[in-house]
Amino acid sequence: MAFEKKNGWMGGFIPWVLPALFILGWFLASRFEIVPSYLMPSPKQVGEAGILYAFGAPGEGPFAGRFWLDAWVSCGRVFAGFALAALFGVPLGVLSGRAESMQRFLSASINALRAVPGICWLPLAMVWFGIGYRTTLFLVALAAFFPIYINTAAGARQVSPLLFQAGAMMGVRRLRAVFAILLPGAMPNILTGLRLGLGISWAYLVLGELTGVPNGLGAVIMDARMMGRIDIIIVGIVLIALLGRTSDLMLSGLLRICFKSARRLT
Amino acid sequence: MTTQLKLLTGKREAGIVPTLEVTRLSKVFKTGEGPVTVLRDLDFTVGKGEFICVLGPSGCGKTTLLNLLAGFEKPSAGKALLNGRPIQGPGPDRCVVFQEDTLFPWLTVEENIAFGVNGVPKKEKQEKVLHFLDLVGLTPFQDYLPREISGGMKKRVSLARVLILQPQILLMDEPFGALDAQAREEMQDLLLSLWNQFHHTIVFITHDIDEAVALADRVLLMQKDPGAIAEETRVRLPRPRERTAASFQDYCKALYQSIKKPR
Ligand SMILES: Nc1ncnc2c1ncn2[C@@H]1O[C@H](COP(=O)(O)OP(=O)(O)O)[C@@H](O)[C@H]1O
Ligand SMILES: [Mg+2]
Repeated sequence: MAFEKKNGWMGGFIPWVLPALFILGWFLASRFEIVPSYLMPSPKQVGEAGILYAFGAPGEGPFAGRFWLDAWVSCGRVFAGFALAALFGVPLGVLSGRAESMQRFLSASINALRAVPGICWLPLAMVWFGIGYRTTLFLVALAAFFPIYINTAAGARQVSPLLFQAGAMMGVRRLRAVFAILLPGAMPNILTGLRLGLGISWAYLVLGELTGVPNGLGAVIMDARMMGRIDIIIVGIVLIALLGRTSDLMLSGLLRICFKSARRLT
Repeated sequence: MTTQLKLLTGKREAGIVPTLEVTRLSKVFKTGEGPVTVLRDLDFTVGKGEFICVLGPSGCGKTTLLNLLAGFEKPSAGKALLNGRPIQGPGPDRCVVFQEDTLFPWLTVEENIAFGVNGVPKKEKQEKVLHFLDLVGLTPFQDYLPREISGGMKKRVSLARVLILQPQILLMDEPFGALDAQAREEMQDLLLSLWNQFHHTIVFITHDIDEAVALADRVLLMQKDPGAIAEETRVRLPRPRERTAASFQDYCKALYQSIKKPR
């Protein structure tokens, strides 16, 4: 069907319909004061607050110009936590996907831990690591670990034994087979796991930063709440959405650049 | 020395050096309902450069035999010797063309063919790969992914990726079984022309009588429950073989009757 074509002008246009309708509704709601502006400021007000937050000179207001430092700090925390999760999640996932004994050893414990909502770790993390960087890192890494581990294990498990036989008869075995057959074969699932992990990293970043750190997008949202600045809260939410989406695209792009299998199987 | 000794034993045409010697080879699988004997006391030899077809009904243990020869499985009893040495584990001296599609889906046709080539300078490797691409007639498709080519083309890639390794023996498990009649005949002709060129030793498994008569120097007929070699037929037809010729049909008939014979 014509409108199903991905590259037509309709295809590029469709993703923007929902946000456009939403902004229109929001605009009308504030124009006719359906919602009081102390609960929901107008799009114009939020836009101005956003511009000031990003491009204002310090001193123009409590949040002016803070964005770059906040974004930098938050991205650093997400990246560090996510990297830690991937560093453990991918190898452990591969092991438990391929080795029955490893699977038996790990999976019950990991699934039990996974059943605990991440937020439950917050009080413990605050006692162990105090408020700030290390608590955030811990929460992000912990939360991102599970989807990475589980998807990698599922991917490693479903690589056909025939592909390993084919490799072995051509002289590719053991460690070389891991890199030449196992990882590429599991790549679509690994990519899915990493993307889910990165997505959840942003959620737990905000949780960690809500505990009261001086900088970061979560911290800004928390400060704004205390100062009653709904407009800045909304700016923070929108920016996290944009950064989350951008980092997701960057992750997929990076894996596609680095791995043939990510490029060709997904 | 060893080969000369080997010449004194076993059933074979005079003067042919055996590459593969299988003696009292058995395979028993342990299952939930106790042990199942899938292969019992197989005895045969394959001479260097010989084209052997193993013909048998499905479920008679053909794939199991091939797995033993390839080294994917260990025999329960008996032994299989390649050039006098027992087969231990898989290796590029015994290459396999599988029944199933086992190309690496993330590699192009060219990369699949290059997969097993190692320890060769890059330029030489590239030339080799291009040569074998050409041999199987896939040069225009070198950058295609397996999912973008037909079943027959995939089989050509499977063939090229092992021929390039110059195996001592080529093990083929019903490789053309899933192809339509025309593609199958094309592949048989291609295989024969490559065999004429390289003179590999080939063990070719099939359940198709016509295919066995078209290809083989010798047909080993397998029976079921337990799997064993029932008969051996030498196909004395000059190549290229004419499938419609009466002599060809005679061989098919004789094999058909052997299969139907109660044992
Ligand atoms: N790993 C195994 N465990 C138990 N039984 C097996 C195993 N592999 C094959 N078999 C049995 O051995 C018999 C022969 O199988 P196979 O060698 O695949 O036959 P063919 O290739 O001739 O169709 C079948 O009955 C099959 O169920
Ligand atoms: Mg079979």
